[in-house]
Amino acid sequence: MSKAALGSKWIVLTVAALMIIAIGGLGCQKAEPPKKAEEAPKEPIVIGGIFDTTGATSDVGQDYAVAAVDAADYINANGGVNGRPVEIIANDYAYKPDKAVELYKTYKDKGIFLIQGWGTGDTNALKALVSKDKIVYISASYDSLINDPAKTPYNFYASTAYGDAIRAAMQFVHDSGKNKVVFIYPDHPYGKNPIPAGKAMAAELGLEVGPDQFVALNATDAVSQLTNMKQFNPDFAWIGGTVASTAVIIKDAAKLGLDTKFLVNVWGFDENLVKLTGDAAKERVYGMGPFAMWGADVPGMAAPMSMHTKKHPDDSHTVHYIQGWSSMMVMWEALKKAETLDGPGVKAALETINDLDTGGLTAPITFTPTDHRPNTTLNINMIDADGKIVTVKNVTMKRRPEWLGQ
Amino acid sequence: MSLQQSGIFHETYKEDMAIFQTPFIKFWMIGFFIFLAVFPWINKPFNSMFNTNTLYLMNLIGIYIIGAHGLNILTGFTGQISLGHGAFMGVGAYASAILTIKAGIPFWFALPMAGLITALVGMVFGIPSLRLKGLYLAIATMAAQFIIGYAMRNWSALTGGSTGLVVSSPTFFGIDMGTDRSYYYLVYTIVIATTLYTKNLTRTRPGRAFVAIRDRYLAAEVIGVNVWFYRILSFGISSFLVGIAGGLWAHYVLVVNDEAFGIWLSVQYLAMIIIGGMGSVLGAIYGAVFMTLLPIMLRIPEHALTQVYPGVFAIFQSLTEGVFGLIIILFLIFEPDGLAARWHTVKNYWKLWPFSY
Repeated sequence: MSKAALGSKWIVLTVAALMIIAIGGLGCQKAEPPKKAEEAPKEPIVIGGIFDTTGATSDVGQDYAVAAVDAADYINANGGVNGRPVEIIANDYAYKPDKAVELYKTYKDKGIFLIQGWGTGDTNALKALVSKDKIVYISASYDSLINDPAKTPYNFYASTAYGDAIRAAMQFVHDSGKNKVVFIYPDHPYGKNPIPAGKAMAAELGLEVGPDQFVALNATDAVSQLTNMKQFNPDFAWIGGTVASTAVIIKDAAKLGLDTKFLVNVWGFDENLVKLTGDAAKERVYGMGPFAMWGADVPGMAAPMSMHTKKHPDDSHTVHYIQGWSSMMVMWEALKKAETLDGPGVKAALETINDLDTGGLTAPITFTPTDHRPNTTLNINMIDADGKIVTVKNVTMKRRPEWLGQ
Repeated sequence: MSLQQSGIFHETYKEDMAIFQTPFIKFWMIGFFIFLAVFPWINKPFNSMFNTNTLYLMNLIGIYIIGAHGLNILTGFTGQISLGHGAFMGVGAYASAILTIKAGIPFWFALPMAGLITALVGMVFGIPSLRLKGLYLAIATMAAQFIIGYAMRNWSALTGGSTGLVVSSPTFFGIDMGTDRSYYYLVYTIVIATTLYTKNLTRTRPGRAFVAIRDRYLAAEVIGVNVWFYRILSFGISSFLVGIAGGLWAHYVLVVNDEAFGIWLSVQYLAMIIIGGMGSVLGAIYGAVFMTLLPIMLRIPEHALTQVYPGVFAIFQSLTEGVFGLIIILFLIFEPDGLAARWHTVKNYWKLWPFSY
């Protein structure tokens, strides 16, 4: 027998074997014992999950995804949604928008009307579809561009918007008596979208803005950008990356001996940043904190702590766990209030949420049919000389109408 | 080696040149087309089997097939490697989005125009191919990836910057073509048209010229092939097809932003035609199917494991990525000529069986 023919025989055999395994696998699935009638719970409310646990933002995405799954268990242990359990399908999309669209279409096909989503890129990529299909999309992207319900009626999130966070940061610079700022961010929707709001605010406050610097989310060094920045020698620099890229910037800044202090957007500042940067971050890094840090002394912390002790006591968590948790709690509140369990019903229920108390995990949350800004209050946290995260200020920005969707 | 069944005698050139030569093949092709036609109506069981929306996947595969045909003409037939194909797809997507939104041109005209615009852009970036070959050209086309990507992100007035553009789904005499099912028919009509076009192109004078340039450009030039012209033409046709794919993608997903058209997409296209079989029309199809389905197939065991060990789904998901890479490596080692070649071997094996000597 010729080599090629031998090869093809192998292929045929392999394909046959794979088919047998596949059929066997399907058989196994069917062979699950049927649940007894008295045990059968009510039909669960299925929620689609689009998370990043392996991609460019997985450094912060993993904790968020774990929290979402844990929160679903917590919801079920506490009565579910009027007696019905929730079930979250946690899928990773590795920060690839096309994969997010595939997951979205799959969820839609399954009749899912509520999705816990992730980044700015995919949330933007899906905003037209969710509006068209009337599927509520609660994202981990707090992009201001999706908080105007006139444009994106089905997009929600449970945090201070990036736009308000960057304005608060500019206000903080101004209040500190300084006036030179620079923006450092990845050339990427998450990084770029808040920048116009920041620049507008800087102009309003009369701050001097230096040249922007791009540092990618997966950057391993930022020396050239920081060297550029050094010529301008800003008092403060805004960082719009995730924890990994923020750590790189801060360490390189220390290496170059810059005096600049850093203001970091919510996804770039957490407990891991302290570990990753060591002395480099002490007394010079400020984080925009719409959420309580992991283990903070607030009443709302008891619930996530209980799930942590129950499910994975050996893991360490970060503020991103609280972010995922809060997003699920807001969703739970809406599901409980919804008159009809479908997209429009949950959307309407979310829009009735008024001053929802999250026990200090976030500032109280309010949505109205004309304003999807959950709140405009956040903490400004700092890494102190001992490497501890301390809150230096609590800021509330005005709810100016012209800042909606900006 | 192409084997012809015994007992078939061609009496005219037309018969000799027919694409589907035997009644047996014709029968299967008709069966296949019927399957394609009814698939949107019978896809429900597949959805639960693969735990995904198979209709969306089929649409995505269709769009990739059109793009892969494009790259195959360029790389497989003309031998010009391109790492900018993902960006060209983006040009098509943005072009059709901008034409429909800002110029108000209906989708049905915007789509071919997007193809033409992409062809133009592709030809401009194809100019280095006149001097560069192989790895050098790969890097030159990769530059296209970065330049176009930069333009897409920063030419905000035109492209909407990092927010992108929101487009509406096309309508056809009042029917909304935005549903998965109606879009399927649109995509596959174009897939069939482009497949036939590509198949026939390879049998025409320009097609022969492409192959001649690929195999030995000096010899081609000596026998009178205008190498420069055909190289640029190849870039043009290739970009036209991928531009169409981009336009289709834009009006399916309804939002165009630059993230979807990164270097990863270019690499994926290259992987499609390498795994499918370079320089083979069927290869582009196999490659697009393989590259789209493999991650989904890998998700089946992952999904099963996640149900058993819910707490560690992140680990299984990273494993899937690794396995995906491993399968591609193994594939390239054991079947460097691609799936099309493997299919050919298998077919011949059964044709000759049991007298394979």
